[in-house]
Amino acid sequence: MNKILLVIQREYLTRVKKPSFWILTLVVPILLAAVYAIPIILASRPLEHAHVLVVDDSGLFQGQFRSGRNITYHEAGSLDYAKRQLSAHDSLDAIVFIPARETSIPQDAFLYYQSDAPSVTVQSDVNSQLQEILRNCILLDVHGITPDDYALLTGARIHLRTQDIETGRDGFLQIKLVVGGLLAFLVFMAVFMFGSQVMRGVMEEKTSRVVEVIVCSIKPFQLMMGKVVGIGLVGLTQFALWTLLSGVAMGGLRIANADMFQQAQSRNVTQIATKGSEATAQYQNARDQAARYESGEGVDHAVQDMLEGVSSINFGLLICLFVFYFVFGYMLYASLFAAAGSLVDNETDSQQFTLPLTVPLLLTILLLPAMINEPSGSLAQWFSIIPFTSPVAMLFRIPFGVPIWQIALSMGLLVVTFPLCILMAAKIYRTAILRYGQKLMWKDVFNFLRMKH
Amino acid sequence: MLQINHITKHFGDYKALDDVSIHVRKGSIFGLLGPNGAGKTTLIRIVNHIIGPDQGELLFDGRPMTQADVDQIGYLPEERGLYKKMKVGEQAIYLARLKGLDKATAESRLHEWFDRLEIDSWWNRPVEELSKGMQQKVQFVVTVLHQPKLLIFDEPFSGFDPVNADILKREMLHLRNQGATIIFSTHNMPSAEELCDEIALINHSRVVLSGALSDIKSQHPGCDLDRIFIDTVTHTK
Repeated sequence: MNKILLVIQREYLTRVKKPSFWILTLVVPILLAAVYAIPIILASRPLEHAHVLVVDDSGLFQGQFRSGRNITYHEAGSLDYAKRQLSAHDSLDAIVFIPARETSIPQDAFLYYQSDAPSVTVQSDVNSQLQEILRNCILLDVHGITPDDYALLTGARIHLRTQDIETGRDGFLQIKLVVGGLLAFLVFMAVFMFGSQVMRGVMEEKTSRVVEVIVCSIKPFQLMMGKVVGIGLVGLTQFALWTLLSGVAMGGLRIANADMFQQAQSRNVTQIATKGSEATAQYQNARDQAARYESGEGVDHAVQDMLEGVSSINFGLLICLFVFYFVFGYMLYASLFAAAGSLVDNETDSQQFTLPLTVPLLLTILLLPAMINEPSGSLAQWFSIIPFTSPVAMLFRIPFGVPIWQIALSMGLLVVTFPLCILMAAKIYRTAILRYGQKLMWKDVFNFLRMKH
Repeated sequence: MLQINHITKHFGDYKALDDVSIHVRKGSIFGLLGPNGAGKTTLIRIVNHIIGPDQGELLFDGRPMTQADVDQIGYLPEERGLYKKMKVGEQAIYLARLKGLDKATAESRLHEWFDRLEIDSWWNRPVEELSKGMQQKVQFVVTVLHQPKLLIFDEPFSGFDPVNADILKREMLHLRNQGATIIFSTHNMPSAEELCDEIALINHSRVVLSGALSDIKSQHPGCDLDRIFIDTVTHTK
C-alpha cells in the first residue's frame, strides 16, 4: 500500500471515529429539522381556553369582541359585577374594561386580572381586537368606509416582478442573495474549520515529536499532503452526511407530520369560520376576504415565489462549483495552515502566522454587504477572481449568474495557485517541523523558503 | 554495512558537520559519542535521509544509499514521541506499515514483542495512559519491528529505570547477535564501554577520535572511556 495512502487513511479514520465528528454530523440536521418542526408543533399544540369578561362603558365596543378558538368573550354589565365574577370563578381569566369616554375617541382600556396574569395570547388578542374595532368605528363614522371596503383596500396587492428582459424569467434577487450568502459563509466556515484541524494535527506531531520517527519512513511532503487530503476527505464526508441527513430529516418530518402540517394551515380557516355570527355576517365576509388576501394568498404568493426562485437557480452547477471551490480553496489554505502549524510549538504562538492567513477570507466575508448591492460590480468581480478570496466571493456571485469567462478565469487561477502554495508550504514545513523548542519568526520563514535541500 | 564518506552540512553560516567519515561494520555495535551540539543528531538525520548533505556520500552495503534503503533502518530518536490519543496496538501497526510491513505480519510480530516485554494487555489503551517507561518500550518495539538491518539508537537509555534499561541492553545484544548492525549514540560512557565494539567521537562538527574500542583503550592505558572522552573533547576545543 502506498505510504501516503496510509497517512490519509489514518488522518481520516482517527477523525471520523471520534464522537465529536458524529455529534457535529447529527446536530446540524437536527437543528435544521427543529427550525422546521417547532413552529408547526407549537401551532398545533392545543392552548388552554381562556374566558374574558368585557365591560364597555364607552358604548363603542359593545358586542364587537369576537370569540375564537382559544378565547371566549362574555359581556358583563358592570365592572363591579365583573369583578365579583372574576373572584368567584376560577375559569374566568381577565376583564377587559373600557371606561366611559371623555373624548370622542377613547384613550385607555384596561385588562384586569386576579393573581395569574393572562397569557400573551389573550393580551395580544384583546389588544388587536380593541384596535380593529376602534379603527372600524372611525372608518365608518367619520369616513363612511365599511369594513368590507376597507378589507378590499388593504387586501389589494400588486406584485412586483424583477425579470430578465431577454429570457422573461424572474430575477428572484432576494432568494439568490440568501443562497449565495449561505454558500459563501459555508465555504468560509469549512475552510477555516478543517484548515485549523490540519494546523492542530501538524502541531500535535511536532510537539509530541512523533514526526521524527515518521519522517524516517516518508517524506515530510507526503506526511503533510496525507494530512491535508485526509482531513479534506473528512470535510467532504461531513458535507455529504449533512446533505443526506438533512434531506432524510426533512422528508421524514413532512411525512410524519403531514396531518399536523395541514392542521396548522387549516387553523386560520376554522378560526375565521367560528368567528362568524349573525350580527356581523357581512362584516365577517369582508374580513374573511381580507384574511385570505393577507395570510392565505399572500403567503401562497411568497411560497410560490420562493419555490420558483429556488428552481430558477441551477443547483447542479452550484453543487459542482461548491465542491470545486471547497476542495481547492481548502487545499490552498490547509497547506498554508500546515506550514503555520509546523512553525510553532503551541497554539498561542500560532497567532502571528495564522492571522495573515485569515485576512483574505475574512475580508471577503466583511465585504459581502458591499457586494450585495452590486453582485456584478468591480469589487465582486475582483474578489471572485483573485485565488485567495475567490472561493467565498465566487460562490456568493454564482446564483446571480456570472459570465463563463469569469468563472473559467477564477477556477484557472485557483488551480494554478494551489500547487504553488503547497510547494511553498512544503518548503517551510519540512524544515520547520524538525526545529523543536525554538520560537520561529517570520525571518526564519523566509530563510526556510530560500533553503535548498 | 554503512559507510559515511566526507559528509559536510551547513545550516546557513553554521557548519554542522565538517568532512565526517565513519565506517560501521556489519554486525557491530558502533558508539557515536560526543558532547551536546556536536552534530550527532544531524549526522543521524542525514543517514535517515531526513535531510540531505551538502557534500559527501553514503554507502549502504557497499553501494550508494537510496531512499528504499531507509526502510532497512530502525531509528529510535532521542526526542521520543507517539500519537497520544491513538491506541497502542493501532499506532504500532500504523508505524510498522509506514516502514513497509504488511498489516498481518506487523500484528503477529507485535503480539510476540509485546508478550515478551509484558505490555500486551495495553494493546487497546491510548498511549497517553501509559507511563513514560511503557511508552519507551512501545517505541522500542516499533523501532525494531520491521527487522531492520541497521538500528540507530539515540540515547536509548534516557527515561528508562535501571531494570528496564537492563532489559533494553539485553535486547540490543540479542538483536546484534541475530545479525543487526547497531549505531548507538550516548553520553553514558559506561554503557558505551560495555556495549560498543567501535566508537567515533564527534566534537565541533568533526570526528576527533575513532576506531575499535579495544585499540583506543590500549592507546590510553589506565583511562576509562569517560576520561578519554573528556580529555579528547577539551583537547580539541
